[in-house]
Amino acid sequence: MKQEFYDTLSSPILWGVLLLAALLPFALSSYYLHIVTLALVYVALASSWNIVGGMAGQVSLAHSLFIGIGAMLSSALLLKLGINMWLGLVISAVISGVLGAMIAWIDFRFQLGHLSFVLITLAFAEMGAIVVEGWEFLGGASGMLLPKDTGDFLAFQFGGGSGSFWVMLTLAAVCVLVNVAILNAPLGFYLRTIRDNEKAAQAIGVNVLRYKITAMVISAVLASVVGTAYVRYLTFADPYLLISPVITIEIVLFATVGGLGRAYGPALGALLLVPLGEVLRGKLGSALPGLHYFIYGVVVIAVILATPRGLLPLFERQWERWRRS
Amino acid sequence: MTELYQALAQGLLIGSTYGLLALGMGLVYGVSGVVNFSHGDFISLGMFMCLGLYSALSLDPYVSVIITVPVMTAIGALVYLFLIRPMVGHQFLMVVQLTLGLSLVLQNGILMVFGGQPARTPSIVESKLWILGDVVLRVPHVIAFVISFALAIGLYVMLRSTDFGRSIRAVHQNAHAAALMGIDVGRVQVLTFALGIGILALAAALLLPGTPIQPTQGLRYTVITLLVVVLGGMTNFVGIMLGGLIIGIAEAFGTIYLDGAIGLLMPYIIFVAIMLFRPQGLTWRSSK
Repeated sequence: MKQEFYDTLSSPILWGVLLLAALLPFALSSYYLHIVTLALVYVALASSWNIVGGMAGQVSLAHSLFIGIGAMLSSALLLKLGINMWLGLVISAVISGVLGAMIAWIDFRFQLGHLSFVLITLAFAEMGAIVVEGWEFLGGASGMLLPKDTGDFLAFQFGGGSGSFWVMLTLAAVCVLVNVAILNAPLGFYLRTIRDNEKAAQAIGVNVLRYKITAMVISAVLASVVGTAYVRYLTFADPYLLISPVITIEIVLFATVGGLGRAYGPALGALLLVPLGEVLRGKLGSALPGLHYFIYGVVVIAVILATPRGLLPLFERQWERWRRS
Repeated sequence: MTELYQALAQGLLIGSTYGLLALGMGLVYGVSGVVNFSHGDFISLGMFMCLGLYSALSLDPYVSVIITVPVMTAIGALVYLFLIRPMVGHQFLMVVQLTLGLSLVLQNGILMVFGGQPARTPSIVESKLWILGDVVLRVPHVIAFVISFALAIGLYVMLRSTDFGRSIRAVHQNAHAAALMGIDVGRVQVLTFALGIGILALAAALLLPGTPIQPTQGLRYTVITLLVVVLGGMTNFVGIMLGGLIIGIAEAFGTIYLDGAIGLLMPYIIFVAIMLFRPQGLTWRSSK
């Protein structure tokens, strides 16, 4: 672990930002608090995806599976079998981790190229959506309604509003910090060598299989945990939202807009785009459904054309220029 | 046995159109190395343009193609010129993400114009049936089959024996050498992309009669097209048509013999299995 990680952990800026963010529920109306909470969900998801998609350079479209398992399976366990959602969270996370390891193993064993990896994971994601929509135990096509959130911590309830906000803030912070940690640990260097040239990495003795699996498992477990917390916040386990490949595409686009492979890039993308989309949906959603996704698409295309490495490097360059002048 | 014939016939008929959808993508990939993840949304666009023309002028989808094909071809050319060409030379994955963004734009543009309710576009042949012995064929499927194969053969002849076709093949084999031989590679890439999208307008009209459409369907069509292209070895013309038939038959067998979810999973299972265990068809594996 490089010193930078400990510097980040002990930096007053980090804790100051987190503390200020934690005070937001006292300053915001419930509508804006909802928007910020949603943004944090996507910060966490985009950051967890970044470990595989950004650092290791493997555009996985299978993350809807992990989010979906975390959301639908834990809900089903609670509603159909009466299993406490904390336990459900752990079970889902373990299953997601195993599934992630299997996908990484398939990728390695069959030496999939970048494109084949995208395609195979997309096929898995579609299969997952079909299975959930057709399987009554997981809620089928109509989804499941969770019991009302009364704030009973032992039952994985946080009382909605500010309680849920703090949970999401914690999860988002953890996901971003895991990114910082990996980037500064040997794992991060191995992942980047694999991304830049897998054959060369193997030639100098990087254990490609091991690090691909490690990255995918960390990413899958984080996504699954966030999925469970997200469904508890939404109270409705909606298969068309939570296990649809579209949620992965959104995450991939947030990460791309912010800056792939960077610790804070995906967070930046989600923090900019989710509120933009939600505010637009609030203002114009009833008149023009779909407008906010339309705008996402336009922003993404514009950012990719203007600065393919994402907004974070752009901001950094501006900052440097401003500091020097 | 009747069921078997029925499934085979239905699969072959639908599969031919899948093959046609995939030919466009395969051509584009072969010439410019771009995999278009908004492919299915362009199919949606074609279908909804037919719906719009029906509501406004009560045109039959088969007649609407006179308008939709040139319009979609032009859209394809513009998309390539202004969105995709600037990205060529950058990392391959950025084009994937760009077309994913384009997919959101198209899907939700359609949603904003037409609303999210499933819609149907009537056609005169929509409910006509053709009975051959024990097998019942829907006339729109037969039309789709005949036109798809005719077009595929036309494309094949075009690639074999016209100057434009030869320049496409030349760019596919070696873009650098083609440029040295005086072929305008950029122009070939634009025209091929436009052609690929134009074909989609036709395929959309062929798939439309009797099929309920909604704006969110694009991704599923993209996935089906990708399955077919991959099965066919990405750029192998005959392979792609064959891949279309395989996927069509897998889907038909799946929905007839297996109930519910497993039936729908059939094409994906076949796809993953072939991709993993018979990769010799995948001539594109070394490319990134």
